[in-house]
Amino acid sequence: MTLFGRRNVLMVLALTAAIAPSFVNDYYLFVANTILIYVLLSIGLNILLGYTGQLAFANAAMFGIGAYATGLLQVRVGWPFWLAFPSGALIATAVGLAISLPALRLRGLYLAVSTLAFAQFTQWVFLNWESVTYGAGGFKTPPISFAPLPVSKQAGLYYLTLILVVVLYVLAQNAVRSRIGRAFIAVRDSEIAAQSLGVDLLRYKALAFGISGFYAGVAGGLYSALLNFVSPEGYDLFQMVLQKAMVVVGGLGSIVGSLLGAGAIITALEALRTVKGLQEIAFGAILLGFILFMPNGIIGALKAKVRGWEEPVHRSRRRNSPPGPAAVTTPRSEVRP
Amino acid sequence: MTAPLLSVRNVSVSFGGVKVLDGVNLDVQPGEIRGLIGPNGAGKTTMLNVISGIHAPNIGDILLDGVSIVGRKPNEIARLGLGRTFQTSQLFRGMTVLENLMTGLHHRTSAGLVAAAFNLRGYREEEEAAEEEARLALEFVGMSAFADRPGSALSFGQQRVIEIARTLIGAPKVVLLDEPAVGLSLNRLAEFDTLLRRIRDEKGVTLILIEHVIRLVMDVCDQVTVLSSGRQIAEGPPDAVRNDSQVIEAYLGKELRARHSAS
Repeated sequence: MTLFGRRNVLMVLALTAAIAPSFVNDYYLFVANTILIYVLLSIGLNILLGYTGQLAFANAAMFGIGAYATGLLQVRVGWPFWLAFPSGALIATAVGLAISLPALRLRGLYLAVSTLAFAQFTQWVFLNWESVTYGAGGFKTPPISFAPLPVSKQAGLYYLTLILVVVLYVLAQNAVRSRIGRAFIAVRDSEIAAQSLGVDLLRYKALAFGISGFYAGVAGGLYSALLNFVSPEGYDLFQMVLQKAMVVVGGLGSIVGSLLGAGAIITALEALRTVKGLQEIAFGAILLGFILFMPNGIIGALKAKVRGWEEPVHRSRRRNSPPGPAAVTTPRSEVRP
Repeated sequence: MTAPLLSVRNVSVSFGGVKVLDGVNLDVQPGEIRGLIGPNGAGKTTMLNVISGIHAPNIGDILLDGVSIVGRKPNEIARLGLGRTFQTSQLFRGMTVLENLMTGLHHRTSAGLVAAAFNLRGYREEEEAAEEEARLALEFVGMSAFADRPGSALSFGQQRVIEIARTLIGAPKVVLLDEPAVGLSLNRLAEFDTLLRRIRDEKGVTLILIEHVIRLVMDVCDQVTVLSSGRQIAEGPPDAVRNDSQVIEAYLGKELRARHSAS
């Protein structure tokens, strides 16, 4: 393993994140928490868009559904956060799977338009189904408590988010370098060849939609708790653009790229917060710059310049042996008949 | 005579009002290398698409090892033992050569999302066995040195060979090859002859190939079927087909046929 390889850098990032609450103020902790939530969103979106190649626009809506479901189950039904939060994530997963059913028969721009329509429909429900969603004004969610643990609400939520990010990051990383991940990439690179090798297109597209729904749902539940507030505008088209930007800036088809992209975009937006007006211009410039000069994102540049950032989609047992010669020494007679 | 491994029975396919295949029959015996030739637009690729489930025939039946495969999805037909390659390269460009081959094992492996995400032991063992098998398959086609290259970094001819290896690793009974020799240089063509024969002899795979490189067809095929305008106009050993008057007419036209037989 190289010194500045992915593993070492991630270890340092995780350690820094783990001790951050003891030396940063509430504002920076809030920003860090926001970044972690967006890491979940962009990992889920990257599996759908970057790995499986499905140009869908429903991720912000599923983020919203996770937030609304978690919030409303507490406020309307009276469930505690600990029950409402996983339920919200499951509801978002179910919605992700449900919208995948019609979406599975559509490709490219048609898929984009139909999922965009779904996202707008979700907005409309948030805004207009006032008897349930409280309409345009949104609603406050009850503050969550981590008692009997000796942590404040901010620190407690931050650690909950961090643990979930670490776990869900590792699970996603494992999944994409298995036969599941290879099936996703096969669907993206050539549907016709994927099918001819026995990959069930509908099944793997639905699976990718379900996974992205789950990650967005978990993020939504955490976000509602972070803000203590849920309202429609947090889950609109700009939210979708933001998430797509993270995936593109970080690098399509890369789990660690999702993490870097979320970190880079949120940091840039926060840094520019003081100069209102410049924020949108700078955001546009960053996107344009990446599309023009770094189409493979941050991860593309890292893979090209720094050793130890490769992301094979299999677990190689011979990672350190030079390719080729080892296999050549096997005598021909051992070849399967 | 044994039962045919693949049997196409009276298959017709129309797109709009155009009849692309018109009552075609094809019986391929196990261990055969069958050539499928014909002028452009004869319906050869449609034939492969119908067999592999991409198009459904309007009428007719197709049996693979005695089981009807009409109406099944391409991935189900693949599971039943039918492999194929395509006219254009369909290598997965975002994966290495080794990973492309491991994807070919998709339907022979079974680890689910949970097993993979949690890196369970059964999944790890399956994955190791898959990598080993992929390396052996690369060795079979003599391309072990390319294992860790990205799919996009291969020459066109190399991509075709890897695609064949990717299909073979799924242990198919029959493999359909759509113009596999396109892009091969003349001196690689001889190696390709050998490869096709080794696939049949060492792997026991029955091959059906569409090919325009007539030399390859004449050299390796046991039987040749000739299609023209969606109809089957001749069938038999390569030499017999080569001298069939209808075949010459389909390729060269009537007037030339007269000259051909005069010379």
